[in-house]
Amino acid sequence: MGAWRVPSPRGTFRVWQRNATIFRKYWKTLLLPNFFEPLLYLAALGLGLGTFIQRGGIEGQSYVQFIAPGLLASNAMFAASFESTFNTFVKLKIQRTYDAIVSTPINAEDVVAGEYLWAGTRAALYGTGFLAVLAILGAAFGEPLVRSFWALLIPPMLLLIGVMFSVTGTLFTSLIDRIDLYSYYFTLVVTPLFLFSGIFFPVQDFPAPVPQIAWLTPLYHAVNVCRELATGPSPGVLADVAWVLVFTAALALFPIRFMRRRLIS
Amino acid sequence: MRTETERRTEAGARQATVVARRLRKSYGGFQAVKGVDFEVYRGECFGFLGPNGAGKTTTMKMIYGAAIPTGGELTVAGLDVKSREREVKRRIGVVPQENNLDEDLKVRENLLVYARYYDLPRKIALRRADELLEFVELSEKADAEVQHLSGGMKRRLLIARALINDPEIVVLDEPTTGLDPQARHLVWERLRKLASEGKTLVLTTHYMEEAAQLCDRLVIMEGGEIASAGTPRGMIEEHVSPEVLELRPDPGSLERLLDVLEAEAEAVERAGEALLAYTSDASNLMQRVRDSGIEFENAVHRRAGLEDVFLRLTGRQLID
Repeated sequence: MGAWRVPSPRGTFRVWQRNATIFRKYWKTLLLPNFFEPLLYLAALGLGLGTFIQRGGIEGQSYVQFIAPGLLASNAMFAASFESTFNTFVKLKIQRTYDAIVSTPINAEDVVAGEYLWAGTRAALYGTGFLAVLAILGAAFGEPLVRSFWALLIPPMLLLIGVMFSVTGTLFTSLIDRIDLYSYYFTLVVTPLFLFSGIFFPVQDFPAPVPQIAWLTPLYHAVNVCRELATGPSPGVLADVAWVLVFTAALALFPIRFMRRRLIS
Repeated sequence: MRTETERRTEAGARQATVVARRLRKSYGGFQAVKGVDFEVYRGECFGFLGPNGAGKTTTMKMIYGAAIPTGGELTVAGLDVKSREREVKRRIGVVPQENNLDEDLKVRENLLVYARYYDLPRKIALRRADELLEFVELSEKADAEVQHLSGGMKRRLLIARALINDPEIVVLDEPTTGLDPQARHLVWERLRKLASEGKTLVLTTHYMEEAAQLCDRLVIMEGGEIASAGTPRGMIEEHVSPEVLELRPDPGSLERLLDVLEAEAEAVERAGEALLAYTSDASNLMQRVRDSGIEFENAVHRRAGLEDVFLRLTGRQLID
């Protein structure tokens, strides 16, 4: 039933703006956990585990250098995933914020698009802070973690990665009606992506079909792009960016359609 | 600001602003609204009465775009709700049945953020927010957290929020359900003020008193259909006798009293242990009951109200 709806830029912006207003009030408390988590990974795995595999390094880099850019990508995934799952669910079903918004000139499709854009913004904001910390830590310990000026393109890339994971998270949200079902999403989707997308070890050296499977998943490409931008990119990175764009565009209208059905009967 | 007389005259000119023709809504196989016709005139207060599940809320949702009609026609401010939903929503204000204030924002911020959804310039939004907080008597709470407001305050804030875009039509779904009498009277008083300023109000309620207090005209809905339509007074005159005698006899003599009343009154209804006799001469009827010698615990004599019409039309069984 109904045609595929395309969001209006004005409505999308208004929904993004609502979230930005609230974020401005609470950003200090909101930002901290997302900020510490990747640092903890870096300390435990990079410095702890890293000492055992330090000798050869990976692809000519120390282990900390290898995993740091990948953690930027996974950090964006986590930020956008929480935003599009628990936060969106609360606004949809508990606080009924979306019901209030769609009775104004803003339509359901604008709400979803505004949330995509906001999740991307939040991922980029967190990632930029994290990137700065990496640059400072690297310089302080004489082991540069960000080695190319191309890294300046990482924040916009994190925005795109955030939008991509907002689309998948919102897709899941649009299909469930109980908040406890998110444990499936995080255990079966987010965690495996985090572990097997080439953040902690290179997957392309594994026998078939492991690299092929990795190629089909979204975080793998996000990690590739971040790593290349941090070290100086090769032209092959464009294929990863294209993958992210195509995947995001192909899926984006489905959650819009399903969420509209949840909001307008 | 317009006077009462001017408002009546406008309604008298009968310029319809919400028009439904054979309006239907079904969910799967269930028909929530089964082809209703009604029109709301500019500047009047129009009520939908009915028990739970009568189709009132569904009808309201179709007006403000939260439900799409399955069939028939519905125009709001002259605009078709299906093809021009954004424009319709721009011209109305909505007070929903359930509180959906933005809990992440403070009281005034709720109004300011809402104003942005209508693209109001910030300067105008700030002024209107302060005016509206004053209108609903929440100026002192402007910087309070929404979750710290009482139920009545939240409802008033919802009303203020619905007015931020200066709408022609305000749609209110059970505006006073769950409020204590003081809060309810304050809401009524504010709604009357809005009506006197020329706003068109469309509301649902299952409080007869509310409908009688506020509505110029109303419809009673039941099972997705309109059971009756008219002015509160007109509907009482049409459906019930002007006076009611409520009697509570001993259970043993209930049948005998029923016989007496059925012979003398214009209509009799039984509600549990009580008998309600509708008549145009209650003192005469009372005398007949006394003459019969049947004992009863107490008798209440009152004027017939909208509640009697409502119960007559929708039955006395409990509706879940």
